[in-house]
This record gives sequence, C-alpha cells and structure tokens, in this order.
Amino acid sequence: MTERTTTERAMAAHSGTAPILEVRHLSVSFGGLRAVDDVSFTVARNRITTVIGPNGAGKSTLFNLISGALRPRAGHVLIEGTDHTGEPPYRVQAAGLARSFQITNLFFDLSVAENLRQAAQILEPRSMMWRPIGASRAAHARVDELLERFGLTAKAQYPAGKLSHGEQRRLEVAVALACRPKVLLLDEPTQGMSHGDTQDTAALITSLAADVTVLLIEHDIGLVMSLSDHVIVMHQGQKLAEGAPTDVRNNPAVQAAYFGHA
Amino acid sequence: MSGAIEYFQFVLAPQMLIGLVVGVAVILVALGLTIIFGLLDVINMSHGEFYALGAFIALALASIGLPFWLLLILVPLVMIPIGYVVERGLIQRVFHTSERHVTTLLLTFGLGLVMEDVFRLIWGPNPYRPETPIAGGVDVFGIFVPSYRLFLIVVGAAIISAVALIIYRTRLGAMVRAAAYDRHMAASLGVPVRHVYAGAFAFGVALAGLAGVLLAPIYSVFPTMGRDFILMAFTVVIVGGMGSIAGAVIAGLFLTQVQAIVSLYISPVWSDPIVFGIMVAMLMVRPQGLFGRLGHG
Amino acid sequence: MRMIDALTRSMRASHLLVALLVAASLVFAAIGAAMGETFYLRLATEALIFAGLALSVDILLGYNGLLSLGQALYFGLGAYLSALVLMWVPSFWAAFAVTAVVSAVVGLIGGFIANRVRGVYFALITFGMAQVAAKVVYNTRALGASDGLIGVPVIDINLGIISFSSASPAGFFLFVLGVIVILYGVTAYLLDTPFGRLLIALRANERRVPFLGYRTMTLRLSAYVIAAMIAALSGALYPMLRGFVSPELLFFSTSGNAVITVIVGGVGTLAGALYGSVLLTLLKSVVGSYTEHHVIVIGLLFMGAVIFLPRGLMGIVRPAVERMLTRRSKP
Repeated sequence: MTERTTTERAMAAHSGTAPILEVRHLSVSFGGLRAVDDVSFTVARNRITTVIGPNGAGKSTLFNLISGALRPRAGHVLIEGTDHTGEPPYRVQAAGLARSFQITNLFFDLSVAENLRQAAQILEPRSMMWRPIGASRAAHARVDELLERFGLTAKAQYPAGKLSHGEQRRLEVAVALACRPKVLLLDEPTQGMSHGDTQDTAALITSLAADVTVLLIEHDIGLVMSLSDHVIVMHQGQKLAEGAPTDVRNNPAVQAAYFGHA
Repeated sequence: MSGAIEYFQFVLAPQMLIGLVVGVAVILVALGLTIIFGLLDVINMSHGEFYALGAFIALALASIGLPFWLLLILVPLVMIPIGYVVERGLIQRVFHTSERHVTTLLLTFGLGLVMEDVFRLIWGPNPYRPETPIAGGVDVFGIFVPSYRLFLIVVGAAIISAVALIIYRTRLGAMVRAAAYDRHMAASLGVPVRHVYAGAFAFGVALAGLAGVLLAPIYSVFPTMGRDFILMAFTVVIVGGMGSIAGAVIAGLFLTQVQAIVSLYISPVWSDPIVFGIMVAMLMVRPQGLFGRLGHG
Repeated sequence: MRMIDALTRSMRASHLLVALLVAASLVFAAIGAAMGETFYLRLATEALIFAGLALSVDILLGYNGLLSLGQALYFGLGAYLSALVLMWVPSFWAAFAVTAVVSAVVGLIGGFIANRVRGVYFALITFGMAQVAAKVVYNTRALGASDGLIGVPVIDINLGIISFSSASPAGFFLFVLGVIVILYGVTAYLLDTPFGRLLIALRANERRVPFLGYRTMTLRLSAYVIAAMIAALSGALYPMLRGFVSPELLFFSTSGNAVITVIVGGVGTLAGALYGSVLLTLLKSVVGSYTEHHVIVIGLLFMGAVIFLPRGLMGIVRPAVERMLTRRSKP
C-alpha cells in the first residue's frame, strides 16, 4: 500500500496533471467470490468511458466501490489525484462524483421537480438548508434547466412514480447530473428503454461530455461503439482489456469471453 | 465454608428458583409473540391482552364448574378461532400496506386497548384469584416451595418442548418455516400461505391464552394483567432474536435470573431498569438478537 | 414568481387549518373567561399541552417515517425539569431555558442510541429507553418516586407587556396556546426548508440520500433532537398547569396516546396533531360523561383510522383546503 503525503496529494490535485478518476488494484470479494479482482484504470477528463462485460462481470460492484456504496478490500480510488478509498457516498459526492443506478432509485412519492431540487440543493451554500425552499434560487434554476434538457418540463409536478419507465430512467440520469459533478457514473441508463428512447438518451449522454467526465455501464454494443471514447472490458471480476472501441472489438480475448456469448 | 453453603441454600437457591418460575412463565407468553413475529413480521402489541383473555375465559368456564385440567385444553381450543378471525379480519386488512410493520403494530396496539377496557367492562377492575389447582408444597433446598410452582416449571418445559418439536420436526412446522422464509416460494410449492398465516397467529395467541390459564393461580386475573408481563415478554423476544424459539427460551431464562440476582444484590426496584437496559443495549449492537429469525437458519 | 409546489401548498393548508383552530380557541377563551369557567379551560389547556407532544411524534412519524413509542421520555423530562426549576426559581423563562438545553443534550444522546436502528427496531428501542427512564424515575426518592413532585408553586408569567398568573384559567390557556402555536410555527418552518425536505426524502428512499451528498445520520439526529425539544418544552408547561408531576407522564400510555392522537388527527400534517388532541380530549370528556369505558370508543376509532383512514382526519379535510387554495391562487 502506497501512502502519499498530504502535500503530494494536494500538489497532484492542483497541477491538473492528475487524472480526473483513477482506480488502482481495486478488489472486493463476497463470501470467497472475487466480485472485483485487482482492477486498475484511469478515466480521461471530459471523455465517455464505457465499462462492458457479461452479467456478473462485476461492473455494478465496481461502481459501488468507486461511489462509496461498498468498501473495497484492497486498492485505491483517486478523484483528481486525491485518495477517496472507502469513503462514504456523501464524501465521494463532495469530491465531485455523482452516480445513477441500474435499478431506478428515485423518491417516487415526490414530484419530478422535487426529485431534481433535492439533488440540486447541494449547489447552494449550507446556510440555505435552513431557509424556505423558495429562497434556493440557484437550485431552482438548475431544476428548470434540467427539466428542459431532459424533456420533463411538462411532467415537472408529476410524482416520479407515475412517470413511464423511459421517463424514470431519464430522470435517474438528470438527478445524478443535478449537482454539477465532475465525474458522472451512469449504470445502464438505457436499461429497458425502447429503441427511440435509447437513441435520445445516447445523444443526451454525448452532449454531456462537453462539461462532465462520464463513466458508463452499457449493454447495447452498437451504442457502446458509437458513444464511447474508451472502452474497458470486464470479465469474472477482472479487467480483460481496454482501449478504443474498435481495438477492443477486434481483441480476440474479448471476442472469446464476451462477444462469443452475446 | 458451611456459611457459604448455607448462604447458597437459604438465600441464593430459593431466589434462583423463584426466578426460574418467572422465567418459564415469561417464556410461555413470549413463545407466541416470537412465532407471530417470525412468521408474519407482526409485532403483536395485543399479545398481553390475549394472555389476559385466556385467563378470563378460564375464569368464566371455571365458574360454571369445569375443572382446571379440562381448561388447560379447552381454553387454547377456544382461542384458536378467535385468533384466526382476528388475523383474517383485522391484520390482513393492513398487511399489504407499504409500512406494514408500523400499521400492524398500531392496529394491534388499538386492539389491545379495546380488549383491556372490555375486560374491565365485563369483569370490573378488581383482581380475581383462582383457587390453586394443586395445594400444598414441597421442601426444596430446605425451603417451602408451593407444589403448583414446581408443576408449572414441569408443564411449562413440556409445552415449550412440544412447541419447538411442532415447529422444527413436523410437516406442519416445515410449512410454517417455509412460509416464513419466502411466502411466494412457499405458495408456489403448494403451501396454503393464507391459512398458515392465520393459523400461526391463532396458534400464537392460543399459547398466550394457555399461559393465562396456567399463571392465573399465581398472579391473579385482572384487566391490566397483560401489561406487566408483556413488557418482560417483549424484552425476552428482542434479546433472544425476534422469531427465534431457542432465543426466547435462552433469553427468558437468562433475563429472569438477572432479575432475580439483581433483586437480591442491588434492589428489586432496579431489576426492571437493568433488564430494559439490556434490551436497549442489545438493540443497539445486535438488533436481530441473539439468534436469527424463524425459517432463516 | 415561482410556482408553489405540492408540499409547500400542503403546508399552507395546514397553516390555514391551525389559524382556524386558533380563532376558535380565542372565541372559546373569551366565552370561558366571561362565564368565569375553570374546568373546561383547564381541560383545553391540557389538550394543547399534549398536542405539543403529538406534534413531536408527527415530526418523526409523519416526516421521517419513524414510529417513536417512547416520546413520553422527553415530555416527562421537560415536566420534571420544569417542576424542579420552578420549585427553585419561580420563573417561566428559567424553566424553559433549562428544559431546552437539557432536552437537546438528552435528545442527542437518545438519538445516537435510537438512530442506530430503523423501522420496527426504532419503535422498540424508543419504547425501551422510555421504559428505563420511567422505572428509574419511579424508583428515585429524590424525584418523589411513585408520588412524583408535588407543590410546584403558582408562578407569575411576565411577558414584558403583560403579566399574569399561571393559575388564571383563561390567561394560562392563552399563554399555552401561544407557546404551542410557536412550536407549531417553528416545526412547520423547519419542515418546509431543504432540511425538512431531506427528512421527507429519507422517508421516501433513505438509500439514495447519501449519494446526493448528505449524511443520513446527521439528518436523522437533527430531526430526533428537534422532536425531543418540542416534546420537552410541551412537557415543561404541564407542572405550571397542574402544580405537580408524576411518573405516569413518562409511561407508555403517554407515548401511546400521542401516537393515537397523530394517527386519528392525520399523520404528516402537523395540524393533525393539534386537531387530534382537541378531538380526543373532547371525545373523552363527552363519552366519559356517559360511561367510564371511553377507551373502547377511542380504541375502536383509532383502529378504524389505521384501517380505513391512514391519513386521519386531516386526510379528508386538508386536500379540500388545498383545492380551495389552488383555486384562489389561479386568476
């Protein structure tokens, strides 16, 4: 285990040379099963990096380790060069990382706008926590912006639970994006969507990369190839390969392990 | 040296024996409570009132001349349809709401209030003391112990063992445990889940009623009799692990001994705060209790 | 001008309903004072005091989704503290200040214990803590043991502009009304801030909240301490009214009555706690004049509310008020 001094970490963070997100030798096991096994990679700033792999490859577990939902048994998670390994989700969020979930994870009783406001509130100073809701103007402006961008303006006052599946998936992404994260982890955002919705969402994700770094889990291979700048292939908890989409597709090991079964 | 033996014989042993009687009594009440939680996930706040109901039914039947020994069988048999109807008619009405734990707890709390006041309406607020079915006493450790208390320990142990056997060794028990583990899976395997649920609730309250019959000669019968016992029974169920029969037995014996020893060495008035303190500490460090739930290993 | 969302609109409906209750109370106090009435004014004062306890239960149950079966712990704490202070210095301000500070500290400790667990275990642990406290008080000679503390003096309440005795039925009723309305106002304000909305979010989906950047323990603890302080401050009024405190104030029946009040009045509405308390006190007094078995009636009403009206009285009344407010705000 390499212990870096605070100064070193601070220097790395400020120099701008540190990658926005770096994972080093990350491992976790559940009852002897190595769900994530010695995985390392770096994510380039303002790019879309996609993690692919068959079911049970450890993709969602990897996201859980990075976002603080799970503690790794070994390894490190660095955000802009600062170590955030094993920190609880609210700390990781404060470091600039937000995520969406594979299984829609919203406040279903609350309205669409209120779901977004809850997530955007963190943009306000802490003192606004104890002021009336209406006083948080920046948060409300962010909500309006996201409603517009995700095509949910007409449904703003609907309870999130009453939205269609496709709309809920879109809201799931919008909620993650609301806090203006530096890194956005999207866990199968198009899961269960119709073809048309999937295309719209893909276009949306592409547009996001202008100001946020995206790490994505996606099953639709066509989408992965068209969307991603960089692809990481996972298999049985390990990183099998990584590289540009076309390189990965032509990799024989990947074809055997993944495309062969698909 | 002989002082130590005498101390044990005349001070400690009798105190522990009294603790054992209370322990068996509490376990009898806790047994139904833990089965109902283990299977239905329901905290039956009216359990103490079902315990009282058993005692009052026994009182009514005894007044028309039925012998105590018959009541031991008759009262649980009367309680079963009552419990069945309460489960089907009341608990199932709120069983499928999103906050089931809270709503069923509130509903049974309300039921307990109503039952207690109904007892007061019918029988008045004063205690009745049924005649002790077994008169006389036995000399244990040189101390006079009423025979009925020894009888209670033996019968109580037999009932507890029988319940454990039914749950863990019979086909019926297997169905109950299957339904507790996964109701949908159990239903697909042909277990009549609705009847098992209602039946388990009925069985639980019948056990409470049986405890009421057995304990009435010692603790008397009065409308609020359920309150005193239920606190201890809840504590036993929580410490032992909600839904665990073995846990209820071990925690029941342990906590009543703690009570007995605290009463002896500190003061009887501090036994309750200490026992409840153990419960709170247990909930903090291990909310699932000493043992896991029914059907969950 | 930003559109008011559904939650704020509901809160405004609650404000309107509370205003209505206050207006009715003022009329009641005026009539009572004119007739030189004592019994009903004191009964109504007690109803308001217990409404404060119910309010604290509603913060936890209605907003945080946590059922406290031991809120009497803080109500009793406030009552005993207030009695002790008043026997030392006959100042309402001193009693309130001590109660606020001590209940915040005790609430913080209790909150650390209780918030380690969730759901049904939270109900049981709060129940257990209150039991321990009740038994300890019951056995402590310095606190009067089972008799409680008697002989709390009548005090003069000096509010700067006016001053009156706590023994004056109408004066003290209005004073308690004022305190409870302030407690309601503070609670309602806090629950309509981003902090309060996070409590609602916790209830809706606790697991998502940490990913929005908030520590759930801090939020739950804050809600718990606020509820503890509200219960304690309400309890502090009790010895001023009755001149004594007894261990029954800490018993489960006190906690249980507060839960019944909230469920019958309407959980998650705040106004429901106030209306529920008035309704139940009224019911007890009316039914009680026919039979001593009023618990049967209240118990059945409570069971009926749990089964058929999970949102209580306010579940029927408040949506109507909300519709009225919406219609009026549209041109």
